[in-house]
Parts: sequence; C-alpha cells; structure tokens
Amino acid sequence: MIEYQNLFTRVQVRTTTEDWGVPIEDDTWRKESGIDTKSGLSYLLGKIGDYQIGPIHLGATGVASLFFGILAINIMGINYLADVHWNLIQFVRQLPWLSLDPPAPKYGLSLAPLRQGGWWQIAGLFLTISILLWWVRIYRRARAQGLGTHLPWAFASAIWLYLVLGFIRPVLMGSFAEAVPFGIFSHLDWTAAFSIRYGNLFYNPFHMLSIAFLYGSALLFAMHGGTILATTRMGAEREIEQITDRGTGAERGALFWRWTMGFNATMESIHRWAWWFAVLCTLTGGIGILLTGTAVDNWYLWGQKHGLVPQYPDVWTGTDRGTVDEQKGQLQQSPPDSFPGLPGVKAGQLRTPEGTVKTPIGSRKALDANAPALRKPYGGQP
Amino acid sequence: MNTMRMRSVAVVAGLALLAACERPPVDHAQLGYRGVGMEEITNPRLYAASVAANKVPEAPPPADPGPPGAWQNVQVLTDISAGEFTRTMNNVSEWIVPDSWVDPKDINRANKCAYCHNLANMASDEKYTKVVARRMYQMTRDINANYTSHVQQTGVTCYTCHRGNAVPQNIWFYTDQNQPYRYFVDRPDVRVQSASFVPSNDNRSSIKQTEYTYSVMLHMSNGLGVNCTFCHNSRQWSDWSQSTPQRMTALRGARMTRDLNTNYLVPLQSTWPKERLGPHGDGAKLLCATCHNGVNKPLYGAAMAKDYPALYPGGMGSATTPMPVDSAAGGAVAAPADAPAAGGAAVAPTVPRTRAAPAAPGAVAPRTATPTAPGAVPPNQQGVGAMGGQGQSGKNLPSDPTPVPQNLQKP
Repeated sequence: MIEYQNLFTRVQVRTTTEDWGVPIEDDTWRKESGIDTKSGLSYLLGKIGDYQIGPIHLGATGVASLFFGILAINIMGINYLADVHWNLIQFVRQLPWLSLDPPAPKYGLSLAPLRQGGWWQIAGLFLTISILLWWVRIYRRARAQGLGTHLPWAFASAIWLYLVLGFIRPVLMGSFAEAVPFGIFSHLDWTAAFSIRYGNLFYNPFHMLSIAFLYGSALLFAMHGGTILATTRMGAEREIEQITDRGTGAERGALFWRWTMGFNATMESIHRWAWWFAVLCTLTGGIGILLTGTAVDNWYLWGQKHGLVPQYPDVWTGTDRGTVDEQKGQLQQSPPDSFPGLPGVKAGQLRTPEGTVKTPIGSRKALDANAPALRKPYGGQP
Repeated sequence: MNTMRMRSVAVVAGLALLAACERPPVDHAQLGYRGVGMEEITNPRLYAASVAANKVPEAPPPADPGPPGAWQNVQVLTDISAGEFTRTMNNVSEWIVPDSWVDPKDINRANKCAYCHNLANMASDEKYTKVVARRMYQMTRDINANYTSHVQQTGVTCYTCHRGNAVPQNIWFYTDQNQPYRYFVDRPDVRVQSASFVPSNDNRSSIKQTEYTYSVMLHMSNGLGVNCTFCHNSRQWSDWSQSTPQRMTALRGARMTRDLNTNYLVPLQSTWPKERLGPHGDGAKLLCATCHNGVNKPLYGAAMAKDYPALYPGGMGSATTPMPVDSAAGGAVAAPADAPAAGGAAVAPTVPRTRAAPAAPGAVAPRTATPTAPGAVPPNQQGVGAMGGQGQSGKNLPSDPTPVPQNLQKP
C-alpha cells in the first residue's frame, strides 16, 4: 500500500556541533541554545518536530505575561464554577456552555459590579496585559537573535482584532456590552448575534476581505506545505541550497506550479505571500468590526445601496403576508438592555407600547429615569 | 501491523465524530426562489415517528341537541345542550387528567371528575383546578372565535396543548435562562435590525437583546420543527418582501400568545397553589411549543375542534355570548388587541352572562386593562443572563410537576 512518507519526521538529526551557517557578530545565543548541554531530548517530539526541548527563555516579560494570563483564565474558570454552584461535575459537563459575560448595556463604560460583568472587565484587562507583555517578549527575543520582527508584527495584527472586538469598538459604542464574552459557545453565539444585529456581516466588504485572506491562508498553506513535502525526497526542505542550485527538488516544485498554473512563487516569496495573507486576515477583519455599528448599522442595506445585493423574484406575491401596519413591529431597544445613545447625535426617541419617549442622548441618567416607563410590562399581572 | 492499528483508530475516531449526527435519510423541499437556499430539511423516519406521536383521539359521537342543563354555577358552558355538556366534561377529563392520577382523598378510586370537582358538590369552586379549567374554556373559546388569523378554521382544543397531561409539557416560568421568553409576555417586540444603514438613535438595540431575539426565534424553530428559512430569507431577517407568508402567520401567533399570557395565564397566578408556580413565584406561561409540540401545524393540521362545539362561543354558532369575566382572578380581563371592534357593544366586566347578550364574540373590555403592579419581578432586573448568579446548574429550575419547557426537544 501507499506509505505516506512525509507525515512524520523520518530523520532525527542529533548532533552537538554543526556548521550553523554564516558567522554573526553576537554569538551569545549559541551558549543559550542548549545544544551543548543537551537540555532535554524527546524521541516522540522528534517525530513531529525538533527532538530538542528547551531551553525556554521566559525573562521578566514572559513571567509577567504568564502571571496575568493565568490569572485571567482563573477568573473565568472560577466564575464558571460559581455559575454551577461550585459543582465540579457540572463544571465539566457544561463547560462548553459556561460563559463570563461583559456587563449589561446599562453599565455603559463604567465599572460594573463584580458578578454583573466586573469580573469580565478585570479578566479582560489582565488578559490584555498578558497578551501585550507576550508581544513585548517575542519582539525582544526576535531582536536578541538578530532576527527580523515579522513574527511580532504578525502577532500585532491579531492583537489589533482582539483589541477592536473587546475594547476599541465597545468604547466607540459607549458600552462594554458590545464586547465578546469569554466562553466557548457564548463567543460563537456572539458572532451570530453580532451579524444579525448589524444586518448580515457577509455584506461587509472588510469581512469579505478577511474571509478571502483566511481561506487564502489555508490554501497557500496547503500549496506550500504540499510542495515542500512532495519535494523533500529530493532534499528540497534544505531551502538555502535549493534556491541557488539548479536541477533541485525546489526547482521541480516551481516547474510543477508553472505547468499547472503558469506562475510560481519563489522559495522565498511564498513566505511573503503566506505572511501577508495571515496578517491581512485579522487586519481587515478588525477594520470591518470597527466600522460595524459605528459607521454602518445594517450591512445588507449598505450593500443594497452599493449594488452588492442581487434581487430575486418574489415567489410569494399574492399570498397573505399581512398589511403593512400588521408587519410593523417595535425595535427591541428599551432600557435597561439597550445601550446608550451615540454622543453628539441629535436626540432620538424610543418607541414603547405606550407611545414615544424622548431620550436625551448620552445621558445615562436620563435613560434610567425613563426606564420605568419603558419597562412597563406589556400586559397585566394581578 | 502498525498501519492496521492506525487505520482502526482512524475508523473509530471517524465514527465518534458522527455520533451526534442524525441518521439519514434526509429529505428537502425548496421553499424560495432557486439559488437562495431557502429549503426545508426533513427526515422521513423522524417525520413518521412525529406523525404517530401527534394522532388525534377519536371523537365520541355527537350529543343530542337540547336545552342547557340545569346545572349550578356554570359560567361558561351555558350555551350548549345538557348532553353536550356531559360529553365535554368527559372529553376534557380524558384530555387533561393523566391516567396515572389518583385522587389523594380517596386513593382507591381514580374518578377523573374529582380532579377538578368536589364529587359531593359538583358546583363548588373549592378546587383551584376547576377555576383554572373555567378560565381555560374561556381562553379556548376566545382563540377559536377571535384568532382565526392564526388558528384558521382548524381551531384548538384542550388536547392541542395538554395531550393527557394536567400541565402541558411545553410551558415556561421566569428564570434567568428563560429571559428571552418574556417576549411572550412583557417585552415589546423582538426586532433588532435597523431600517437604515446609517447608525442613529432610532435603533439602540444591543447585542444582548439580539441574543434574546435569537433565542425566541430558535424556540419558534424548535417548537414548530422547521428551519429558519421556513419564514425568513436569512440574508435579511427583517425584510418582509423576502419572507414567506408563514412569517406573518407566526407573527400573528406570537401576538396571540402574548395576549393569551397577558389575559389568561398571568392572571391565574393567584389561583394556582404554590407547587404549581415557578422558582420566582410566577405561574406557567405559554409559548409556541405549547400548542405546536414540535409540529408546524399542531396535530398535523387535523381539524379536531370542529367535533367539540363547547369550545366555540355560543356552542359553535348557535348563539353568541360575550366572554365572561373571571373575577376570581382579581384582574380585569382584556380582550385581545386584535379582536374585532364590537360594534359599540362592549360589555362591562360586571354584566352577568346571559345567553341573550347580543354582542359579537370576543367583545369585552378593550385592551386598556393595565396592571397596577408588575407582579413577579423577573430576574432580568437583577442581573445579566448567566451572570445573575443562577447559572446553569439546574438548581434554579422548578421541580416536578412543573418542569421547565422541554420545547427544545423534538417529539
């Protein structure tokens, strides 16, 4: 039968010294590399990657990052536990559904009581500190090795999306309730609700770009990985020699792509393709999220205005879809669960079953003052 | 050998991934214009099981016509013949009282009449179940007379919801988890999408409110056993011009549910004993699944009500009577907002019922009856969803015999 030769690392190179290429000025990394001390070798890890484990360089930022990160995750976990009344079995069973949610819209951008979203704010703050410290750490490690800073900047692109979702956009909207909850299914539910509220994110051009880069990244990854694995039987994973030499496995890979699609990325530029696709995925995604609710409130209608929306024949013409009056409904926007008005926008009105209530904009107090009227139950209770 | 082991691991893992899937066959029907993906997905095997579970009990032979019986303290079923009255009582006891029920006062006998009546004095209102049943007759008549925009000529019977259970299986109480269902009582509406793409203060609906909407919609989907696209074109949920006519039927049904909860179920709160109330002290309330039980047309559209004239005002057209008012419930009774104008013949709540009352069906007090107190304060005012401290432990859920809605399970 066919043997998949390249699913696992076939050859584990174990050596104490090797010619590591061109000499560099600062040689300190060699002493820290752990090769000479053999700081831990794993045969099994060697099957999927490098057989050497460590040494890990944490440094001050690494330690601080881990501290805040573990703290944040513990806050989430302990809140989950409290939600299931400290029942460990229920904690495990319901973990996918448990969630630490942001404060209700009525708290706006202020600090909420701990169990009403305050813990979310604290966990979010600690998680953000942890992520930013980790960014500093990988930036400094890259510089210490004399590497370029591609990895920190790619990570920064992901952090941009994270900050837009959890901080920048909520601040612009005036409510932390707009942010994403910490939970497995709850954050997925959030994405669904977000798209519904803002009229279908598929019509958001930056969302389109982000998806294109996301799927493109997967495609490029598969193309590149496949090419390299397919040519390793000619030693093509040793890219430096392959780039410069003729008649190599790498050149065969390049020819393969020219044969099949007329063009090929080079052994060097394919990594730029991959890097940019990955970076642009979260960069454009962040822009798309940032514009949602702040610049555009209904992407479908925006798309309609700009010719993005195909129209289909109405196959239900003549059926009973009610009168226009019957179709009218109210927006689900009454306090305390709606969020405050946009600052600087002319005073709007909130519709209620009892009529229209004028609401001064940006005034949480005034909204709350109106709240009892707006909250008045629809019908009667004895 | 090694590859064999890897293969079997892969097979087992592959099967494990399928464990949560529904076993084929899968059938689908196109609902919308081609290419828009509006399709109804069904499974013939599950469909057959559902049809079997939604059979209508055979109707007993009709009763002879005649004058109403000389019963005492009959307030609603005054307009049907004595024979029909007895027939109705028998039917209802079969539809409502479980076969397993035993009269606690007389454990050797399971006379189903005793579920509501004091057998020594049938006229007595001492059992709460009788008071509730009276209100339920009024509700059923109200639905069949005034909500034909939703129930059409099919109508509803006690069996539509009860199915042999004293408490219908799909009901709900106030809990943190059930916040979204407040749409069926005291939240104004579920719309969240803006009618314009420019952000403005016309729509301040939040993500949290959108999640409520999502939950209500999923309840409808599960409660009716249909997909989202049964009513909507999912590319723009709010757009009526792309929606199916079923969406309007559903909206009328939702408004009916809200009226029924407001006018019938919520006022019964003070009538029910404590063990029938939810964790926050509120009574059971309706939602779509209460009647639908996972089927888009309850009982697959069987016209069951036509065999039971007692469930129509005036005993199905022979004479019309106004809705009576249940003073025991303590609240003014309001007719549904959609009720047709009564031609000025609105009947004051204190007017005693007579068969001669000439008012049109359903003409009672207008919907101005507003509460003086909001009743049980829903937990929403205290906190947010799962953060309100109740979590999902199940500890806040009411215990038997008032289970939390099972509406998310298909029959």
